[in-house]
Amino acid sequence: METIITILLIFFGGAVATYFLGKISGMLRNIIFLATLVIPAWMFFSTISPDMVLELEILGIDLSIGITPFSYIFAIIVLGLSVIAGFYAVKAMQGKENLNFFFANYLLTIGAMMGILFSLDFITFFIFWEIMTWSSYFMVVFTGKEVQKTGIRYILFSALGAYAMLMAIVLIYTTIGSVNIGDFIDNFHLFPTNLKWLVSILLLTGFAVKSAMMPLHVWAPGAYSNAPMSYTAIFSGALSKMGVYGMTIVLIMIVQQIPNGYWIKEVIAWLGGITAAIGTLWAVKQDDAKKMLAYSSISQLGYIIVGVAIGTPLAMLAGLFLAVMHGIFKSTLFMVVGAIERQTGTSNLTEVTGLIRKMPWTFLAALMSIIALAGIPPLGGFISKWMLYESLMGSNHYLLIIVIFFSSTAAFLYCYKFLFGFFLGQEEKEWSHVKEAPAMMVVPMLILAGFSLLLGVFPGLILKPINEGMQFLGYVSTDNRFWEMSMIFNDWGNQVVMQPIFYTIIAIFLFFLIFLTIKGYKTTRYVTTKDISSSGEIPREEENLTFSIGFMQPFFRAVAPVMKRQMSKYYTGFGKGMEALFDFTRRIYTGNGQTYALYLVIFVIILLLFRDSLF
Amino acid sequence: MDTTELIRIGVYGTSILLILIGLYAVLTKRSLIKIIIGLSIIDGGIHLLLIGIGYIKDGTAPIFSPGSENAVARMVDPVPQALVLTAIVIGFGVTAVALSLVIRLYRHHNTLKIDEIKNLKW
Amino acid sequence: MVGSPVFLIAIPLLAAFLIPLLGMVWKELVRIVPGLVLAYLTFLSATLYIDVINSDTIVETIAGWRAPWGIDLVFSPLTGFLSTIMTFMGFIVWLYSYRFKRNVEFEAAKKYFIFLMLLVAASVGIVITGDIFNQFVFIEITGISAYALTAFYTGRNSAEAAFKYLVMGSLSASALLIAIIIVYAQLGTLNMAEIAANIDNMNVEYRIIAMIFFIIGIGVEAEIFPLNGWAPDAYTEAPGPVGGAFAGIVVKAGIYAMVRMMFTLFNISGPMQILIIIGMITLIIAETSALRQDKLKRMLAYSSIGQMGLVLVAFGMGTQAGVFAALFLMLNHAIIKPMLFLSGSYLEFNTKNKYIKEITGMGKKMPVVSAIFVLGALAISGLPPFSGFWSKLSVLTAAADENMILIITLVLIISLVEIVYYFRVINRLFFFDYDLEISVEPHKPGWNGMVALFVLAGIILFIGFYPSSVTGFLDLAARDLMDTHDYINNVLQLGQSIIQ
Repeated sequence: METIITILLIFFGGAVATYFLGKISGMLRNIIFLATLVIPAWMFFSTISPDMVLELEILGIDLSIGITPFSYIFAIIVLGLSVIAGFYAVKAMQGKENLNFFFANYLLTIGAMMGILFSLDFITFFIFWEIMTWSSYFMVVFTGKEVQKTGIRYILFSALGAYAMLMAIVLIYTTIGSVNIGDFIDNFHLFPTNLKWLVSILLLTGFAVKSAMMPLHVWAPGAYSNAPMSYTAIFSGALSKMGVYGMTIVLIMIVQQIPNGYWIKEVIAWLGGITAAIGTLWAVKQDDAKKMLAYSSISQLGYIIVGVAIGTPLAMLAGLFLAVMHGIFKSTLFMVVGAIERQTGTSNLTEVTGLIRKMPWTFLAALMSIIALAGIPPLGGFISKWMLYESLMGSNHYLLIIVIFFSSTAAFLYCYKFLFGFFLGQEEKEWSHVKEAPAMMVVPMLILAGFSLLLGVFPGLILKPINEGMQFLGYVSTDNRFWEMSMIFNDWGNQVVMQPIFYTIIAIFLFFLIFLTIKGYKTTRYVTTKDISSSGEIPREEENLTFSIGFMQPFFRAVAPVMKRQMSKYYTGFGKGMEALFDFTRRIYTGNGQTYALYLVIFVIILLLFRDSLF
Repeated sequence: MDTTELIRIGVYGTSILLILIGLYAVLTKRSLIKIIIGLSIIDGGIHLLLIGIGYIKDGTAPIFSPGSENAVARMVDPVPQALVLTAIVIGFGVTAVALSLVIRLYRHHNTLKIDEIKNLKW
Repeated sequence: MVGSPVFLIAIPLLAAFLIPLLGMVWKELVRIVPGLVLAYLTFLSATLYIDVINSDTIVETIAGWRAPWGIDLVFSPLTGFLSTIMTFMGFIVWLYSYRFKRNVEFEAAKKYFIFLMLLVAASVGIVITGDIFNQFVFIEITGISAYALTAFYTGRNSAEAAFKYLVMGSLSASALLIAIIIVYAQLGTLNMAEIAANIDNMNVEYRIIAMIFFIIGIGVEAEIFPLNGWAPDAYTEAPGPVGGAFAGIVVKAGIYAMVRMMFTLFNISGPMQILIIIGMITLIIAETSALRQDKLKRMLAYSSIGQMGLVLVAFGMGTQAGVFAALFLMLNHAIIKPMLFLSGSYLEFNTKNKYIKEITGMGKKMPVVSAIFVLGALAISGLPPFSGFWSKLSVLTAAADENMILIITLVLIISLVEIVYYFRVINRLFFFDYDLEISVEPHKPGWNGMVALFVLAGIILFIGFYPSSVTGFLDLAARDLMDTHDYINNVLQLGQSIIQ
């Protein structure tokens, strides 16, 4: 029980220590930073078991912290990712300015996320939620790019979500006199009907912002792509899952209790589906890898939301499994982009080409993650997508399947673009100096890529905790039938692993590897860009042979009507309108002292006229 | 209607008139000096009002002295007078500050028109 | 006993008049003596406050005339709380401005400290007096010293700001005097407790008109809309520490006078529509005006006005929870806003036009001061775990208790605006590059100013992490304001009294 407090204290103390000791020496800072990540993770995995509760009292409100089987799943994501990304960050950020601030903030964010997962009452939850918000804000603006635009948009949407949540919390507190989440769930049926709807919608709004759901996603592309990549790995991988975490609890434990509440679920599921589709389309269009991955994150979160909102046991399993998988492969991809940006100085897909020979290990990590992202077996993405489709069919959401299917198919386009743009294609002289990223960056990426393979082959490793978490949420215990829930497991019977495919695939890989190596060793001939004998004409030096320029134009012509309307334009317009309005109203203060005196007299007259209704 | 009542109405009426005249000056005159004069007129009106509420016909000073113990009923209320003295002093102070500010303003802006002195706005 | 409440007013007044004489002896005394006086006042007020909390309200009669005949000073959990904050903030402002104008002339410093003393004394007087005319006098003294402090700098537009303040101030003083006349004509007394005891005997029509004039009269100091046209100008043009003193001391006194009048004098119980409406309008207009400001202090000034609107809304709920929340807000605002003003005035010390864009990139040149400014900005926009969050939370819960969902929504929407403009400044401070063309050379802060800032920052963090350290005091103060009956009893029957 004290472990929970100790973990939080280590994170926040570590953040302070990292900042101040970092002034003494950079080495010391790095050591403290990594220690602050590793020690709590070790403590967590070695000593913590679900169902620990601790009570505190502040301001006359009882606060409690503890851990539930459900938050355990997310704690695994957060701690696992942050430790691995932490090692990456130390190397990736080397030589940048203001590193003390960066690492301190990094720890603050992770501490806050753990705090969110540990909190069993709304006030603690909200406090950590806001710490997470502003510490992640400082990371979004850390690089100083588009600060006033992206940064303000991020903080504005985050605050909007947070305040929606705060309003719900306040309403809950006055209705049941307690901020304990458990009490709230137990007493929810006592709420008047309209309050039930209001509270659920407010809470869902709060969580939808962090999980970048339509139409509250507009902050995400800028925020994800402007933060340093070593932070975005956490930001997209773990921080966005906090929204999913809260949303799941609300959808399953609260909305379930509202009569006609399934409408909320349907709406959320559809919004998730649309998010997935729109996110994918925009991702295909991006030429900057960071932006592409940011949109891709939005669309993947859309899938997760669909799974969670459908809410059948299989859909929930799929959604949560995808949440874990997305954390893993999207972090890897962001790290890959970070590595490429560090080595080449740009993350533009149309500029960088042919890195496969220069950065082979990075390529391997990218390849594995892209396969997982695209949902090709044997990596984890496949299993989650399969389960998602199966659950959608099982619950008769055929129209939604079409949307999701469209989105996953279109996702292949950007998956291809990513791999091809960076790693394949013609080598250019401009990039001939590029070297492989340092080992401290490559190894974390490979570890994560290995995890996505591992979970693809042994999904049971993560499905078991998810199953326990789902039982906490109120799903019936599946006992031994757990593996019969999905066809994909059914086929191989009642077992945890998918050794047969695994072995087959390994064999195929090995075969091709050996075959290609032997064959390639003999016949491969390195040529210059001009030496293309098969294409009938000789390209000039400046012609870029990358496919990624003008990539998939016909496709875009087809979907152009959908993409013409961009949500952020409406928000920008609204914001501009409000600013103009406020700019107009402040002209009440004319600057003329006589006018102010006139206001005073008018005020007296108004008060005298309306005295009966005002007093 | 006896004279007391008339005097009372007259005093109240005059004071309200003074207040309104002052307000008129403050709200419409563009010269800073005139605005200050307006403020002083308002002050004057209010002081008159304050004195007016303590008025008693054939009143005497509120001093207890041997031989006039039964004059209690005719004593004017001393409090308004004390208040008025204080208020006059305060009004004097404010006017002095105001005039010194006007001198500063004139040096800085070279004008006494209030609608030309609005560098600070919005 | 270290002293009695009357010292809180008498000693600074005495000091204010002795300062020129002391200055003839040794020029440095002009700077040192106010600090000693304010330190003593803080100590005295705190001791008395603890005394009051442990035993009972102190009612001090002046010159041996018992209430309702004489003037009395009431030092209760509420007034003690406020006067402790005010004297403490006075001390902080002194500490910050100790070396103020050091290199310049002695005369300027002398005037500055004299008026600072007067400002603190009169503001404390507004709070602890038990007599409405006495309160009027203190409001006027506050006003005159505030005009003078606003016009402190020559050569800027400060005289213009001071003149506007003066016009509004003296018009409102006239309104206040009219209100006092009405009350006196009706009830024949000026003592607050006696007025409160007899308020039911007053003609309803007169009562409402008196209340309206009171609102006008006090509203200028309390910065309610539409009487606050002077405030942004005055805050902008006054020296930085004076802006802090306005936000930390003068406004608090104004708000106190307002709620004392509503709660005690007119003995209204239940929700007060008028306060809620005025407060809400003030909040909305001020916060939205702050969004488009290009001067830092002006933005802070509008933000300060908006916060006061929120305080009035919270008071207007008229419940124990509402008053508690309002007092919590006042406490936080009294600490955070001066901190913002003080650190902000270091940041823009060398700028030519005081524009926000001129302090771009200051985070790199003055990291500590900028960090303190950021702390203040986060705290005042109500982000946890800083102190502002707890007060915002208590306002919202108080509103939710009364089922005022519209108010909760509006307050939260306005908070979004607040977050936007504060974060724009934070961005400029830390995340923009230092631009030689528009940014200016930083000013080197003195040790005294840094100590003042660190003390305030420490308090913010402390309240943020241990809100329960202050809630007990706030609760007592809220009870004190709510319980008019107890107030009347204390004053008219002289509970724990001192007669001089």
